[in-house]
Amino acid sequence: MIMNKLANMDRLRWIELVLLAVAFIVLLIIPQISGAATITMVSRIMIFAVFAMAYDILRGFIGVIHLGFALFIGGGAYFVGILFFHQGATIPMLLLAVVGTTIYSAIWALIVGKISGKSGMLATAMITMAFSEIMRNLMTVWRTVTRGEDGIAFRVPAPFNDRTMMFYACFIFMILMAFVLYKFTKSPTGRVWQAVRENEQRAIFLGYNTARARTIALLVASIVGGLAGVMFGLNSRFVNTEALGMQMTYDAMLYSLLGGAGTLFGAILGSTVVILFQNFLLDLRPIHAIFERWLLFFGALYIVVVMFMPHGIMGYYNAWKEKRAQKKRMAKEAASS
Amino acid sequence: MSLLKVNDLVSYIGLFTILQGVSMEIQQGEAVAILGRNGAGKTTFLRTVMGLVKTRSGSITFNDASIIGKATHKISKLGIGYCPEDYGVFDLLTIEENLVLATHKKNAATRDRIAYVLDLFPDLKLAYKRHARTLSGGQRQMLSVGRSLVNSPALILIDEPSKGLAPVVIEKMALALKEIAKQSTIVLVEQNFHMALIVTDRYYIIDEGRTVHGGLMKDLENDKELQQRHLGL
Repeated sequence: MIMNKLANMDRLRWIELVLLAVAFIVLLIIPQISGAATITMVSRIMIFAVFAMAYDILRGFIGVIHLGFALFIGGGAYFVGILFFHQGATIPMLLLAVVGTTIYSAIWALIVGKISGKSGMLATAMITMAFSEIMRNLMTVWRTVTRGEDGIAFRVPAPFNDRTMMFYACFIFMILMAFVLYKFTKSPTGRVWQAVRENEQRAIFLGYNTARARTIALLVASIVGGLAGVMFGLNSRFVNTEALGMQMTYDAMLYSLLGGAGTLFGAILGSTVVILFQNFLLDLRPIHAIFERWLLFFGALYIVVVMFMPHGIMGYYNAWKEKRAQKKRMAKEAASS
Repeated sequence: MSLLKVNDLVSYIGLFTILQGVSMEIQQGEAVAILGRNGAGKTTFLRTVMGLVKTRSGSITFNDASIIGKATHKISKLGIGYCPEDYGVFDLLTIEENLVLATHKKNAATRDRIAYVLDLFPDLKLAYKRHARTLSGGQRQMLSVGRSLVNSPALILIDEPSKGLAPVVIEKMALALKEIAKQSTIVLVEQNFHMALIVTDRYYIIDEGRTVHGGLMKDLENDKELQQRHLGL
């Protein structure tokens, strides 16, 4: 049956599968052929890909604008940092950080779920932004535990203290989270999310409790975002209040929009393109000081994407594929008639 | 026993009272048309039954239980299907996904119902894997009506299925609705008198938010004076 499926597959689908296989193999061999800087950068890309996919569940699948999404990556990183720094870098502490982050993320998800059910989209966006700022200020003033804006540098337990092992942990984490989120989006719950995003009232006509669907999406996205924070802490071995800053949320937003909101894979593509581009610009610093200000280029890139590819790279690609399929269908119909 | 019973219903949107006394009874297995001029309150009536417009006074009972004040998704789950006038399909989902979404669960019964819908509207079968946004107006309307059937609701409320469709498509839709009416109870809001005549047996006329007349469609067909007075035909 599988062989039959493969034999009947469209040429484009073949190309997609080959590209995916190549990407998979490249990721597998990177630690064997690259230096520490590249390994750390690619680990960072994979962690942020998960963070952006979690954000995509909210923005791209159910249509919630969460401007305080840094709560999760920052929260997860702080759980790891505080526990490792004060209690010691051990595996039990790591497990405690994972459990703590999950509970912390779930509580925030339930609070935001309650608010978004009662308030409009804009009010939810503003309130969530306020939440992350409150949390950031809390971490700033709680100096005895967090060391304020100076942040905490900490050791991580074996095997995560080895860069190669950390890389493979990030790789497995990304594949696992992509699989889990993909399964969610293809499940009946995921279809309800998409229905709510498109038109909430129509979903209600069909008998769906949309407030519950939104809360489930918030729970899934927040917990996955929080776990990305745990990995971020392990990879950085440092956390300060910037992890809870607005820039983190903007990054997730940019990765997801650039790659294509509502596609999941777009978030992986977006984070890869942006982080690689950012590093490329920073490498150009010796040529001209303007490259130090890489955010200028990102502003321009963002404008270009919004103007010419409002649905991101994957959105553009999917639309092209649909047009191609339609052309094929029409040619087939014309031939048969 | 009435399936749907509405008594002296008054409903409002913001500061405006829209329905000012609508009463009607729908029996199991009937196909009933709600007729009236533009702005008479026909769509608001359906939206009030679905809990989308607030009620000031009066009663709505479905299967002898009051549904006033219930959340829309709970009313839908009681067995009332609703096809809004703007089709209400999900453009970014395929026909298959739109139909499956409406079933809530996948089992043999819902698979049979989807097969029934596809038999009823063969156009949908041909475009089964296509996104709803690529469909014509007629196909979207078929999908909207078909989607409301997959859960075998006890009552289907259909709002102006002929709106914006070509005459040949209206004819097709009317015949399909006639077929559906053999198995289901239908309340059809319609401006197209010809379509209402094909599909329904009984009617109510709503004018300025009130039920002003009711009777058999065949009597209305012969009563030109009543048609002129309330429907402007």
